[in-house]
Amino acid sequence: MADIITVGTLESSDCMVSLKPSKTLEIKIDTIVHEAFYHHIKTVVEKILNEAELKNIHLSLTDKGALDYTIKARLKTAIERFKEANNG
Amino acid sequence: MARSYLFIPGNVPRMLQNMDVYDADVIIIDLEDAIAIEEKDEARFLTCEFLRAHRPENLPILIRINSDEDSLMRADLMAIKGLDITGIVLPKTSLAQLERFTSMKPTNTTDLEIYGLIETPEAFFELDKIAKHPRIKGLMLGGEDLSTHTNIDKSLDEIAFHMPKSLLNFAAKAAQKEAIDTPVSSLDDAALIQGIKQTKTFGFDGKLAIHPNQVPLINTHLAPSKTAIHEARRIIIAHEKKGSMRFSLDGKMIDKPIIQRAQKLLDKAHRYGLLAGDAHAL
Amino acid sequence: MRFKNLDALLDALSLHDQMSLSFHHHLRNGDAVLNLVLEAILHRGYKDLNLYPSAIFPIHHTIETAIKEGKIHNITTNYINGPVALALKEKGLKGTLKMQSHGGRARAIIEDENTIDIAFIAAPAVDEKGNASGLEGPSACGSLGYVIEDVKHAKTKVLITDYTVSKLDNPQISSSDIDYLLTVDSIGDASGIMSGTLKPTNDPLNLKIARLSQAFLQASGMIQENVSYQSGAGGTSLAITKMFIETLKNQGLTASFFTGGITAQHVQALEAGLVKDLYDVQCFDLTAIESLRKNKAHHAISASDYANPNNTKRKIKDLDIVILGASEIDYAFNVNVTTDSYHTIIGGSGGHSDTAEDAKLTVVVSPLLKARLSLIKKSVSAITTPGEHIDVLITERGIAINPKRQDLLKRFENSPLPIMTIEALQALAYQFTGIPKPTVKPKKIIGTIESRHGQKLDSLYGK
Repeated sequence: MADIITVGTLESSDCMVSLKPSKTLEIKIDTIVHEAFYHHIKTVVEKILNEAELKNIHLSLTDKGALDYTIKARLKTAIERFKEANNG
Repeated sequence: MARSYLFIPGNVPRMLQNMDVYDADVIIIDLEDAIAIEEKDEARFLTCEFLRAHRPENLPILIRINSDEDSLMRADLMAIKGLDITGIVLPKTSLAQLERFTSMKPTNTTDLEIYGLIETPEAFFELDKIAKHPRIKGLMLGGEDLSTHTNIDKSLDEIAFHMPKSLLNFAAKAAQKEAIDTPVSSLDDAALIQGIKQTKTFGFDGKLAIHPNQVPLINTHLAPSKTAIHEARRIIIAHEKKGSMRFSLDGKMIDKPIIQRAQKLLDKAHRYGLLAGDAHAL
Repeated sequence: MRFKNLDALLDALSLHDQMSLSFHHHLRNGDAVLNLVLEAILHRGYKDLNLYPSAIFPIHHTIETAIKEGKIHNITTNYINGPVALALKEKGLKGTLKMQSHGGRARAIIEDENTIDIAFIAAPAVDEKGNASGLEGPSACGSLGYVIEDVKHAKTKVLITDYTVSKLDNPQISSSDIDYLLTVDSIGDASGIMSGTLKPTNDPLNLKIARLSQAFLQASGMIQENVSYQSGAGGTSLAITKMFIETLKNQGLTASFFTGGITAQHVQALEAGLVKDLYDVQCFDLTAIESLRKNKAHHAISASDYANPNNTKRKIKDLDIVILGASEIDYAFNVNVTTDSYHTIIGGSGGHSDTAEDAKLTVVVSPLLKARLSLIKKSVSAITTPGEHIDVLITERGIAINPKRQDLLKRFENSPLPIMTIEALQALAYQFTGIPKPTVKPKKIIGTIESRHGQKLDSLYGK
């Protein structure tokens, strides 16, 4: 089994994504713009996980005000690394 | 024609999403030296997602790709496939490097302009051929790497860079390509102004910048001066009045190349918002 | 009467529940006086106190504790920063919180709306006669502008000092206005009093805002001989001021005066002959204090002479240009510098609404995006300064002119500067951020924001 995959930073306008295997799908989102964007961010994350067909995964996102493109990029990088680590 | 080419690291969201605010004429998103080897994939994904979602309008964007390993170069080319960019910056450009790049599969970059970074001693012995390569749009001097490869210590005396600067500018001009000077690594304004003075002295068209705060000074100093604009305007006015390509002005013969140069200068001044009614240089 | 012991002083004062106490904030986050006095008074069991500190800083933990224990009735102040703001949000007050402006506080004291029983006045230096100055001593802070009306109008006035000299040459406070003098070991911590070396911003985005501001000011035609100018001491403001002073120099112009908080930058301009007078309500650095000591054209002025709307001699009446910040701004150009977007207090007007109302050209500068939040809202969470007093908003991505300034709109009609409507500028922000979920206004009102004329501008909310 792979270790935790971590991508991104905790600098302003960035976010950090961690992925690790899990028996169920767990998503944890911690964001500085909770009130304004939490539900939106959750939708973005779920869509990408769906497209990647990842179900048994624990995802933790710590967001410092990242825009959608950054959240998508960090998550896609993490997924690619996760898949590489778990298939090879 | 551009004055300022600003490097932005491809892995920093705050800088990517503000690239159009910095007033650079051209942006170079860096996937190479600014990105640690273990972050190459992060930078690639971030750059692609950014450009797909928020590519600024009317801003030429180049990407500096990796060239040391085939796998990195190929991954970069795969990633930038279909992106709306102006061109790429090719590190350590030589004829062999150009051949390697243009024949690399996937060959999805045939319509992209190539800016060749000249930063190895070998390149200077085939500079004219590099400059004339049909895909090459401009030559950029990479001073730091060149120092490393040639043992030049420019901290002792800048004179060691005179020849490379002249050769690069001559090769570019002979092939009617852009000549772009090496960046100033110091963030001190006085050092930058000194560097820009050299850029102008050696005839370069533009200059690389490694920090957004270098851009305003580069833009101001590499734009046509007030005196030059005034002179060019007088030539064009006289030309239009006389309807002739050959006349005298203040006892000086004006002919076609001078008129063309004056027009080119005014076009440039207008592009940078320096003519009456244009913006003050921001 | 002189005391060397706080308890002896408190014995001599007539203390009672519901009394009104005032303090000034010239020692900023280095102030030791408010905590010292308030703690002792609370210790004696007095309650339902009314506080009139000109501003509240993070160091003022005694207020925080007293709020939590329900011992404070009203607070009237111009600015709150730090844990006191959170305590107010959590707990509120028995009475009410009133946020005034510098000019408004001076007016309210003079006109007996703010009735102060005892003014406890931190005094960096006091002479044998009992005159006081901010220019000397280990806690020197320069101008004492914000406390002058307290000195004149409080029922009882107490100087508190840690530094005594035989004679002060130009005292800012006269002994004839003072009832008591208390000497203590220390009135403050110098490192918290001065803001350190204030430098123009180095941040590329803020520098872009500064360049656009400079270009706007230049094109506005306002930079002329005898122009008057004020800006804050934030990094972007300092960068704009630096460019403004360079413009004066390059165009051979002399400004008539600078007002407000004074920094080394203002002093250098004065010494270079680029501005005739500095009118100083507070000094931000040691250079400013030194200049106030020696330069006759550098004047310490009171908050009333600075910004009281009913004082016809107020300096800002003649102000041409003021540069101000914003936490939020809305379609009507109302500006909020009092709370964040979630109704937590993060500051206050200070001189914001004062100068905005008086200056001929009021410029608000701020980044358009703060992390993922747009500066521009449909309506601000709290109105610190009404939009009718704001002329232009300058951000890194565009400039919005208030439509009530048709003359400016016309002047900039063909300008190459990125002029757009405030709605267009917000749309630009939303292209990046997406549309945020609207915030819900909390129900519990804990206080009000007041204009300098004493009218209610908006409510402040608790949890």
